[in-house]
Amino acid sequence: MSILQVQECQGRLRKAMRLTLKEDEIAYLEGRKGTIAIAKSKGLFFYLETEAEERILFTEPEDLMVASSWGVGNKVKRALACTIFQLREMQAPLIVLPKGHPASPRLKVVVSIGERTRCSCQIQPGTHPEQDVLCSCDEFHHMEIIGRPGGAEILGLAEEESNIAIQKL
Amino acid sequence: MCTVGGGPDIGNIESLAAKDYECLDCKNQFKGMGRRPMCPSCKSRNVKAV
Repeated sequence: MSILQVQECQGRLRKAMRLTLKEDEIAYLEGRKGTIAIAKSKGLFFYLETEAEERILFTEPEDLMVASSWGVGNKVKRALACTIFQLREMQAPLIVLPKGHPASPRLKVVVSIGERTRCSCQIQPGTHPEQDVLCSCDEFHHMEIIGRPGGAEILGLAEEESNIAIQKL
Repeated sequence: MCTVGGGPDIGNIESLAAKDYECLDCKNQFKGMGRRPMCPSCKSRNVKAV
């Protein structure tokens, strides 16, 4: 990984970073309260299932799967890796709950799939339709993760708060 | 989109732009989003928007 530049944003140091990420790897950004995992989508498609219909989400080879959870530690990392693995390698469908479903507040991992993901702490988990917004902890608020050839670029990563590790998925 | 593992909830999915496609190889019809459509049944890229 390489740091491209460090900027001050809202009184905090924020850095732009480029990660090298192979198709069989997963990157973890671990903060104080939350963890984000990043993996390549490998250009695969994903099933979105609603009560009414099935939709297919197509991706480009350099697109990313970004998963977010509210917690830190090995248990959380395993949950994030498991979610990405199920979706990507097992082609598990995404079952879409209707708004207000009682299970929504119990869910532990949120996922964004696409070229670019913007993290926000100001949205309710799983309740927004925008394709590029992902609910996250406040420490990742305003962070942007973009798929790049051979890896990912992370914009707005808080300088002092995150550990980054890349592992085999 | 934001989805949730285990029982994903991506909110008002019907408002997301999707196109209807037909596979010219296996005639499967499906609704898809994204730039590189592929038939989810036979994996062919020989598809057209209908």
